[in-house]
Amino acid sequence: MICRKCNSPGTLIIRKEYCYCDECFIFMINHKFRACLGKNKTLSANEKILICLSGDACSTVLLDLVYNAISLNNHKKLRVVPYVLYIIETVADNEKISNSIIEQCKSYGFPLTITNINEYNKNFFSNKEETESQNSYNSKSILSNVTSSIHRDVMMKIKQNIFLKISKELDCNTVFTAETTTSLATKLLSNIVIGRGSQIENDIGFADKRDRDTRILRPLRDITNEEIEHYIQIKEIKPAKAMHNKLNETSLQSVIKNFVMDLQENYPATISTICKTADKIGSITNNINKKKCVVCQSNLDNNDLNLTAVDATVFSRKVSLRQSGESKYNEDSQNIEENNLMFPFIYQSLCYCCSRNMSELGNNKIKQ
Amino acid sequence: MPVLCKAGCGKNAMLKRPKTGDALCKECFFWAFETEIHFTITKGELFKKGDSVAVAASGGKDSTVLAHVLKTLNQRYDYGLNLMLLSIDEGITGYRDDSLETVKQNRDDYEMPLKILSYKELYGWTMDEIVAQIGRKNNCTFCGVFRRQALDRGAAMLNVKCIATGHNADDIAETVLMNILRGDIARLKRCTAICTGSEGTIPRVKPLKYTYEKEIVMYAHYKKLVYFSTECVFAPNAYRGHARALLKDMEKIRPTCIMDIIYSGETMAVKEEISLPSQRLCIRCNFVSSQEVCKACVLLEGLNKGLPKLGIGKSSKAKKMLEEYNAKQKSSLEEAIKDINDECKKNNCVSKGKVCRSSYKSNQSHTAQVNEESHSKMDTCCNGQCSEKLNTENETNLKVQVLLKEYGLSESELNGQTSDKLTESCDKAQTLEMDDDDFEIDTHSTGKELIEDDDSCGGACGNIDSLHIGF
Ligand SMILES: [Zn+2]
Ligand SMILES: [Zn+2]
Ligand SMILES: [Zn+2]
Repeated sequence: MICRKCNSPGTLIIRKEYCYCDECFIFMINHKFRACLGKNKTLSANEKILICLSGDACSTVLLDLVYNAISLNNHKKLRVVPYVLYIIETVADNEKISNSIIEQCKSYGFPLTITNINEYNKNFFSNKEETESQNSYNSKSILSNVTSSIHRDVMMKIKQNIFLKISKELDCNTVFTAETTTSLATKLLSNIVIGRGSQIENDIGFADKRDRDTRILRPLRDITNEEIEHYIQIKEIKPAKAMHNKLNETSLQSVIKNFVMDLQENYPATISTICKTADKIGSITNNINKKKCVVCQSNLDNNDLNLTAVDATVFSRKVSLRQSGESKYNEDSQNIEENNLMFPFIYQSLCYCCSRNMSELGNNKIKQ
Repeated sequence: MPVLCKAGCGKNAMLKRPKTGDALCKECFFWAFETEIHFTITKGELFKKGDSVAVAASGGKDSTVLAHVLKTLNQRYDYGLNLMLLSIDEGITGYRDDSLETVKQNRDDYEMPLKILSYKELYGWTMDEIVAQIGRKNNCTFCGVFRRQALDRGAAMLNVKCIATGHNADDIAETVLMNILRGDIARLKRCTAICTGSEGTIPRVKPLKYTYEKEIVMYAHYKKLVYFSTECVFAPNAYRGHARALLKDMEKIRPTCIMDIIYSGETMAVKEEISLPSQRLCIRCNFVSSQEVCKACVLLEGLNKGLPKLGIGKSSKAKKMLEEYNAKQKSSLEEAIKDINDECKKNNCVSKGKVCRSSYKSNQSHTAQVNEESHSKMDTCCNGQCSEKLNTENETNLKVQVLLKEYGLSESELNGQTSDKLTESCDKAQTLEMDDDDFEIDTHSTGKELIEDDDSCGGACGNIDSLHIGF
């Protein structure tokens, strides 16, 4: 075991293949981080950035990497002014996690904002449908009956909106998230599977440019969870939250997450292949349609394709109800009402997936 | 307690539609199933009145259902299509015999003309002859490459306007996932198109694009269609295997994910800056190729020149081999052939044992249990060493029974079996199905040599996988 950089005795192996000593490994990760920001040339000098933490190992490493980069005294110094945001999501443990994050930020000297997700989601839902009843539900009761697949997707969009909102309050034009190669691969597959394929560029790529003023950047996109774990071990960093391991809930995202963890274990190169795909995929309606989804800010798909899964899905429901007559259906009978039930506001103000989510949320509301 | 058919016909519901969850009676299910395909055909503008259409027929459930439904709709809605069945006979003794019998049955049942084209007619060689030349080891490549082009050549001979294939929604969703895993952007974009075919080629259309596999199985069952189940001893390649396993797990959680994946594929675009390998026409045979000379022609050249292993490896290799061959021909022909064959042995993925030896790490010890239907289409990978059974036999009906147990509502109609017995056999089926879900195969490999890190297998197995031609 010899370090592939300096030929001194190695201390760790990544991808079962590449051997490093502690020192070279830490150097390499810091370098990867700066290189990722550098090659994308997006930051101007003394720019304010908002670092969004979840408290897990990845976000803790992100803090450390930013700190290291701004502490340099040479031309490689990262010239940014960091702010930190932590969103409280769960009741369990949140005091412990918050305290630990407060401590971390204190030691790095970064200003911290803590906010609770529940303060936001009321507005989040009332935005979309002007029904009185919905305002009275907080997200918890709305989301409690929804499948966990939808729940996860909606939560992610809520958080993203909070990132943008807080960044504006703090006058930051740039947001850093701690998404790694591993988590982005999971996110890419999840996107495909819930119909957000055309949003991959912004959801998984280096920069999310959907908001006019604020960019969300992903400077850890070339770093894997395996590397993160070595990093915290070597530097003896204690994350506020344990790294998520395999999830036990039944959602599409958990199935995908477990799948990706298996891939990482056995075929690590496949993970970066998946991730790189994000750079090559766009949307067929990019730049043509200026309308945006009011929930996720993605460009809305046009309704000008001859035949899509939307048409086929709506038609499926219709024939199951024999709505279109005994033996004949009327092509024009693809009425708006039907569309609104299964895909509310699609092509108008919601994207495919947000519209599907809305329809599930709506159905649950009716049940209650 | 009987549930009423949701369509409001007054009858009792018989099944729950896998796709929508709606409880329907048999008649209303048939109507919904067929009308959806009619919708796909008309809204997708797949055919024009008066077109001659070749239905790619393998005798499997997808192509059997496709032929049946096209025939029905052609009459019901007066498409004015001239439908015919097109089958490919690889010329492997004993292999196609039974499935071709099924196709002939389709011909009689649906009163459609049937054209069976053999490799011998298309290429001048049967697979048996090729195997005799090159041995069993490499025949997979030949069969795959030849099959990829056989439909095009066949359709050209029949002079049809288009080829209709039996790809269903599950196949397409699975292919989207697979192409993501291998980072194959070009195919990722192409694979959700309902109609594929570049200039100068006969387009292929997929009328079953939005039809769930489970519904196809149920339709075939309730309509008592005769089809053929194939159990291939060869696994799908590793990427497809992973994609299929993932899709099955996800479908259980959220059946709509199949449509959602297809929607993703439909609305994604390849960014302009990315240059994709361009498609062109082979200068020899005029069929689509990414190279100057298509793979089939290279392989044929090799066979005809007595260099059977030419072209099994990479195409750049083939060119070099051919050059070397020509150069050395003057001096010592025999030596050249030996050299080239040896080199080929060293260099191609097949002889390294990666092709067709996919396994999924969790389950290496399982013997072949590929989903029968996924290999029954004409252009899936199966190099002809599949064991097959008619679906009328009891044991291959297990899949149907599992489906019926999950989605069937009134069990009384089932073949007069008592419900106790049925439940029992369904339980058995369920267990088998579990195996089937993991479906990992493997006959020979020790498991280590799966997709190694890189795309090493992606390149080599690409040969095998591009059998999924439309993709
Ligand atoms: Zn070193
Ligand atoms: Zn949206
Ligand atoms: Zn009915």
